[in-house]
Amino acid sequence: MLLSIISDHIVWRHQIFKLAKSDMIKTYTGAALGWAWAVIKPSVTIFVFWFAFSIGLRMGGPIEGYPFLLWLTAGMIPWFYMLEMITGGTGAFTKYSFLITKMKFPVATIPTFVGISKLFIHICLMALVVGLFLLHGYKPDIYYLQLPIYMLLMLLIFINVALFEAALSAMSKDFMNLVNSFTNALFWLSGIMFDVHEINIHWLRVLLMFNPVTFIASGYRNVFIYKVWIWEQPQEFLLFIGALVVTAVLGIWSFKRLYKEIPDVL
Amino acid sequence: MCSKAVRDRDKTVIEFKEVTKIYKLYKNDKHRLMSVFYKGIHYKEKRAVDDVSFSIKQGESVALFGRNGAGKSTILKMITGVTYPTSGDIAVEGIVSALLELTAGFDVEMTGRENIFLKGQLMGLRDKQIHALEPDIVDFAELGDYIDQPVRTYSSGMKSKLGFAINVCIEPEILIVDEALSVGDDVFKKKCLTRVTELIERDNVTLLFVTHAPATARDFCKRGIVLKDGKIVCDADIDASIAYYKANMSDM
Repeated sequence: MLLSIISDHIVWRHQIFKLAKSDMIKTYTGAALGWAWAVIKPSVTIFVFWFAFSIGLRMGGPIEGYPFLLWLTAGMIPWFYMLEMITGGTGAFTKYSFLITKMKFPVATIPTFVGISKLFIHICLMALVVGLFLLHGYKPDIYYLQLPIYMLLMLLIFINVALFEAALSAMSKDFMNLVNSFTNALFWLSGIMFDVHEINIHWLRVLLMFNPVTFIASGYRNVFIYKVWIWEQPQEFLLFIGALVVTAVLGIWSFKRLYKEIPDVL
Repeated sequence: MCSKAVRDRDKTVIEFKEVTKIYKLYKNDKHRLMSVFYKGIHYKEKRAVDDVSFSIKQGESVALFGRNGAGKSTILKMITGVTYPTSGDIAVEGIVSALLELTAGFDVEMTGRENIFLKGQLMGLRDKQIHALEPDIVDFAELGDYIDQPVRTYSSGMKSKLGFAINVCIEPEILIVDEALSVGDDVFKKKCLTRVTELIERDNVTLLFVTHAPATARDFCKRGIVLKDGKIVCDADIDASIAYYKANMSDM
């Protein structure tokens, strides 16, 4: 099954990129402000969090000498991608049901092109983040070379997640609701809003570090703020690879179990 | 030259071996989700296609008859490859162009022209080939300036025209027509019929035709298959099948 999924991706690579492009264009055309929404939505959320923590709770002091706003942005921008993939993944097969029920198309590539489409937007947002750091006088350095690595790892793991979710949500809306109820938990039980290393309970710390969201968000912060290379934290990296394997197994298992039934229920 | 044509005509392009398709009917969505994790969940079976075997050779034109729910659409879907049999083997050779539901399968946010490219790519054509076919398709669809407007602004007739134009112009090897010839006005319908006849006679295309109107089927098809409750009850030349279908229609 894994081999057939991979070979589908190779044979259909041109179509995958075309569909990714059209998915991205479709998301943002049709509204008057169009592409601006790709920036407005995350900006509003970041502003709200910044306001709540800095002004409301008076906790937003500088971190490692960087303003709290920059620390927040560096972790939140990848989270928006992950959130889009988690919520968008559940609906991927339903949204593209015409590819499944009206023509012969390798269904397993749908989460892939959805993931690539959202990655385009993410790359544009990251360019803005780099600009924001520049505005504050922080010039890009050699650590920025790690950004593509983290983007690729994030893309890979969330394609797995989306495949798993899409297959199960196609079978039942209950699963979609289940996922949507847990996205908030996933956010607050990750290292986006606090530093996981400061938790004193050992097993809880390991569990939270196993959350791939933590690895990605801290990875981006390692690039922009802490200036740490990916190989300097081997334990975290290995835990992430573990999570990558687990999600891949889950995704392939659910797809293998359901691909014959999905066209009949959509 | 002649012997090659004869050999081609003998090539089997569609083969069904003891194909059965069972739809699982669960009490509700919750049961369906639970069945993914636990196999003991109770469900009812609906045998849409029941132990069907047949083979169709290249260049044949076959009509499928049967009442609603006899399994015609399920068979066509399995040939197209969008749904899988529960048991049995299916072998299909060649580009399948299915006129199942003409108005579906479009991305409504994209323009007609973009949809031509999308569909072409999804059927495995290269950009170059689609560029070559594009004027043909645009011309056949008769949409005028609408070809560069989003498909969501189209009327249902316009969508059908575009769908038909794409499907017959991409040079299919197997053409599946499911009641789709009832699209558009009489002039367009006639144009479609001419094009389908041309494909069969000139390009040696294999045709599968589903209809409730035996008269139209007689125009195209030389062979007829009658289905009842998922089983083949008659597989003969077109006149015999039509006679059988008409004689048994009341108790089918």
